[in-house]
Amino acid sequence: MARIELRGLRKQFGGGVVALDRLDLDVASGEFVSLLGPSGCGKTTALRIVAGFELPDEGEVLVDGADVLHLPASRRNMGMVFQSYSLFPNMSAKSNVEYPLRIRRQPRAERDRRARELLGLVGLAKQVDRYPHQLSGGQQQRVALARALAHEPGVLLLDEPLSALDAKVRVQLREEVRRIQLELGITTLYVTHDQEEALSISDRVAVMSEGRVEQVGTPAEVYARPRTAFVASFVGTVNRLEARVVSSVERTVRCGEVVLTVAADVFDHSDGSSVALYLRPEDVGLRPTLNGDGGGGGGGDNGLPGRVRSVTFLGPVTRVGVDCGLGALVADVSSETALGLSLDQPVSVVVDSARLRTLAAS
Amino acid sequence: MAAVTVGPPPARRRGRRRRLPAWHVLWIVVAVAYFLVPIVSLVQFSFGGVVNGHSAGFHWYGTVFADPNFRSSFWLSVQIAIETVVLSNLLLIPTTFWIHLRLPRLRPVMDFVSVLPFVVPPIVLIVGLIPFLRLFTFLYSRPEVLAFIYVVFALPFLYRSLDAGLRAINLRTLAEASANCGGSTWSTLVRVVLPNLRSAVIGGSFLTVAIAMGEFTISSLLSFNTFPVYLFNIGQTTGNEAAALSVISLLLTWALMVSLYLVGRGGRTTAQVAATR
Ligand SMILES: Nc1ncnc2c1ncn2[C@@H]1O[C@H](COP(=O)(O)OP(=O)(O)OP(=O)(O)O)[C@@H](O)[C@H]1O
Ligand SMILES: [Mg+2]
Repeated sequence: MARIELRGLRKQFGGGVVALDRLDLDVASGEFVSLLGPSGCGKTTALRIVAGFELPDEGEVLVDGADVLHLPASRRNMGMVFQSYSLFPNMSAKSNVEYPLRIRRQPRAERDRRARELLGLVGLAKQVDRYPHQLSGGQQQRVALARALAHEPGVLLLDEPLSALDAKVRVQLREEVRRIQLELGITTLYVTHDQEEALSISDRVAVMSEGRVEQVGTPAEVYARPRTAFVASFVGTVNRLEARVVSSVERTVRCGEVVLTVAADVFDHSDGSSVALYLRPEDVGLRPTLNGDGGGGGGGDNGLPGRVRSVTFLGPVTRVGVDCGLGALVADVSSETALGLSLDQPVSVVVDSARLRTLAAS
Repeated sequence: MAAVTVGPPPARRRGRRRRLPAWHVLWIVVAVAYFLVPIVSLVQFSFGGVVNGHSAGFHWYGTVFADPNFRSSFWLSVQIAIETVVLSNLLLIPTTFWIHLRLPRLRPVMDFVSVLPFVVPPIVLIVGLIPFLRLFTFLYSRPEVLAFIYVVFALPFLYRSLDAGLRAINLRTLAEASANCGGSTWSTLVRVVLPNLRSAVIGGSFLTVAIAMGEFTISSLLSFNTFPVYLFNIGQTTGNEAAALSVISLLLTWALMVSLYLVGRGGRTTAQVAATR
C-alpha cells in the first residue's frame, strides 16, 4: 500500500480565498488518517488536490516518494467516495462497481466475480442488480465504496461520505468503513467535520483550521493533550478559564480567587504571564455539600464551593453546569451521582489537576 | 409559528371544484375546435371531388402514391433530416458537455448564441449564408447543403434540450467519479454522460427532424425539390391531391413522434435520473 506526503500545499481561489495555507501531512502505508475541521477550513480542497481534481499553487503531493501532481486524476490509481451521491444513474450497482474494471479492459467473468465479491464485502450481495434510484442513501454510499475499491487502488479517499445519512446509519457505516479498511490494509484519508466520527475510527487525526494542520496525533493524544486553543475547543467539549501564573517553579496559577497547582507534563510559562486553563467536563468532579454554604471551608484537594446552575441528562452521563470560585464550569458526572443534585444546590467542585492543560493566552 | 389558513375550509373548496363552470367548458371546446376543424376539413377535402362520375374516395391518395416525385421528394427530405440530426448532435453534444464541465463561464454566451437563429429572420440568414456557401462549390450544388443550413435552425432547440439534460444530472461529480475510476474524458462522455442524456438527445433531435422536414423557404430559394416544396407545387395545381398529401404527411409525422416516444421510453427518463441525485 502507498504512503502519502503532502508538502507545503497552498491553494488560493479566485476572490482571494486562501483555502490551504502551507499544509503538511504524512500518511503512513496502511494508515487511516482523518482530516478534521470546521466547515470551510480546506479539507475538501486538500483531498481534491490529492485526487487530482485541483492543482495547488505551491507544494507537492508525494505517493511512495514520487510526485503525482503532474498526473491526471484518471492515472493516479486512487479510489474516492464523494460527499454527494456519485453513482452512475444509468448503471446497476454491479455495473457501477465494474466500471473501473471495464475501463481497464478486464475480462467479463473476472469483472463479474470481483464486483460481486466487493458488493458482498459492503453487505449488498442481494442488491447487485438494483439501480441507484432503487437504493437508500446508505446503500448508495456502500456501492460507491465498493466502486472506489474495485481497481485495488493504493489510496482510498473519502470526503464526508456519511454526512447525508441519518445518525444511526452513519455510526453503523463508519464502523464498516473502518472494518473494510483494516481488512484490506489500504492507506486512507478521510475527511469529516464530525469529531466523534474522526476520533472513533482513525489511527490518527489531523485537526485543521483555516487551511493548516493544527495538530496531528492519535485520537487519544488530540483529545487529552491539545496543542492549541483551537484544537482544545474543537475536539470535544472543554472548560476554558483565564488564569495568571503565580510561580512557574511550583507550577501554580491563580484563577479568580483560587490558586491551583498544575500537574501537567509541560509548563513553560513565565511568572505573571496570563494563561488559559483547559479542563474536560469529565475531569471535573462534584460532591453534594450537605451543610449548605460552607463559606471558605473549601475542603482539601482543590475542592471548591459552588452551586448547581443547570442539569442536562445525556444518557450515560449528566452534564451539570456549576458556578464556583473559578467561574462557570460544566461537569460530566455519572447519571447516578446526578440524581442527588438539584438546581441551586451547593456542591463541592473537585478539579483533577493532573488533567489541567495550560496554554499561553492569545 | 402557527400557520394562518386563508380562504374557505377544505371541505367547501372541494365541493366547489366538482362542477366545471360553463365558461371553462366553452373555453375547452373553442381550443379543441381551433385545432380539430382544420384537420377535419383537410381530411374531408382529401376525399372530396368527383372523378369519372363517381365520388373520389381514396382516389387522391392513389394519385399521390403513384407520383414518383412524391417518393423522391419525401426521401430527399428524410435524408436531409437524418443528416441534420447527425450533424447537429455531433456538433452540439461534445460542445455542450465541455462547456458544462470545463467552461461554465461560457454558458451565458452559448445561451445568447443559441437564440440568434430566432432573432435573425431566416431570409436574412440565407442571404448572408449563400455567398459563404458558394465558396464550397462541391457542396453548394448538392442538397446536403441544406443539412448544413438546418443545423443553424436546429441549434436553439437541440442546445436548450441538451443544456436542460446536463443540468438535470450532477455532471461535475459524475465526471470526477469517472475520472477517479480511471476513465478518460471520452469514456466519461460515451459511457456515463450520453446514456443519461438519452431523452434530451431524442427530444432535441425530434424537433430537429420537424424543422428539417418542414422547411420551405430556403430549399425553395435554392431550388431543391424537398417535400415541402413538392407539397407547395401540388397545392398550386390540384387542391384535393394536396389535401391527401397533407394528411399523409401528418400521419407520417405522428408515426415518427410515436416511434421516438417509444424509443425514449425504453431508456430511463431525465426525471428518474434527477430523482436519484
Ligand atoms: N472552486 C472554488 N472556488 C472558490 N472558492 C472555493 C472553491 N472551492 C472551495 N473554495 C473556498 O475554499 C475554502 C475551503 O473550502 P473547502 O471546500 O475545502 O472546505 P471544507 O473544509 O471541505 O468545508 P466543508 O466542511 O463545508 O465541506 C472555502 O472558503 C471555500 O469557500
Ligand atoms: Mg468539504
